[in-house]
Amino acid sequence: MDQEFILLVSASVFCIGAFGFMVRKNPLVMFMSVELMLNSVNFLLIGYSSSLKSLDGQIFALMIMAVAAAEVVVGLAIILTIFRTRHDLNVDHLDSLKG
Amino acid sequence: MLIDLGWFSFDLFQITYEGVVFALGGTAILAALGVVLCSSPIYCALYLIGHMICLALLFLMYGAEFIAAVQIIVYAGAVMILFLFIIALLGGKKETQDFDFHKFMAFSFIGTVLAELALSIRVGPTKPITGVFDEKMIADVGSAKAIGLELFSKHLIPFELASVLLLVAGVGIVCLAKFTYKPPQRKSS
Repeated sequence: MDQEFILLVSASVFCIGAFGFMVRKNPLVMFMSVELMLNSVNFLLIGYSSSLKSLDGQIFALMIMAVAAAEVVVGLAIILTIFRTRHDLNVDHLDSLKG
Repeated sequence: MLIDLGWFSFDLFQITYEGVVFALGGTAILAALGVVLCSSPIYCALYLIGHMICLALLFLMYGAEFIAAVQIIVYAGAVMILFLFIIALLGGKKETQDFDFHKFMAFSFIGTVLAELALSIRVGPTKPITGVFDEKMIADVGSAKAIGLELFSKHLIPFELASVLLLVAGVGIVCLAKFTYKPPQRKSS
């Protein structure tokens, strides 16, 4: 019962995050959706590490947090640079590389 | 605490624990929906903070105190404050939410993925492993100390690589933020 609950919650949050990443047009909200997906995986790892009595899941969750922090910082810097040069925050308008 | 009503007996602590875990999981899903469906970015950020706090409480319920503290400090503290600063700097404009074919395609795709993930629930435990860290041992050593022992003995190299990754990210954003981008001049020929 407990493991099914963990799987269900983490699958739902992951799918909500993926949906938000595909649908939203603001790059900041897209980054928040990526955070949702990373957090759902963290929740799955921690729940299973508690039910399997092993600490490896918690260590892996720490690594995911480090990667997520680095990713957010670099991504926000890129968004800020794009905004400084284009003064526009809609990802649908960023199609200069389209052939 | 076991409560016996004669025809029905239950453990009050256990039933309260499960109720709190279910309520926190439901709140986490609702907050995630709020992040995706809210049209103003600042409300999205606030919903995301609520989601992170719910997850930190769930980590506490599953006996991972250290990760819960890290979640509150790193995510709900540092990362979300960074998000709020950037939103305040760039000016969060509201986004019009209209339902078009693109969104319908995304919705059906995500529905398929969710159904497949939900099917994986029925598989059950494939290869049950049991570690040595049960609740009694973690209570003996202390959660943070147990994680530290694991981290610095079995997982030392990934830990050092994570620190290198954070250093590279710091140098990278200094390069991105310090030097302003000049668009390249086309040579007229």
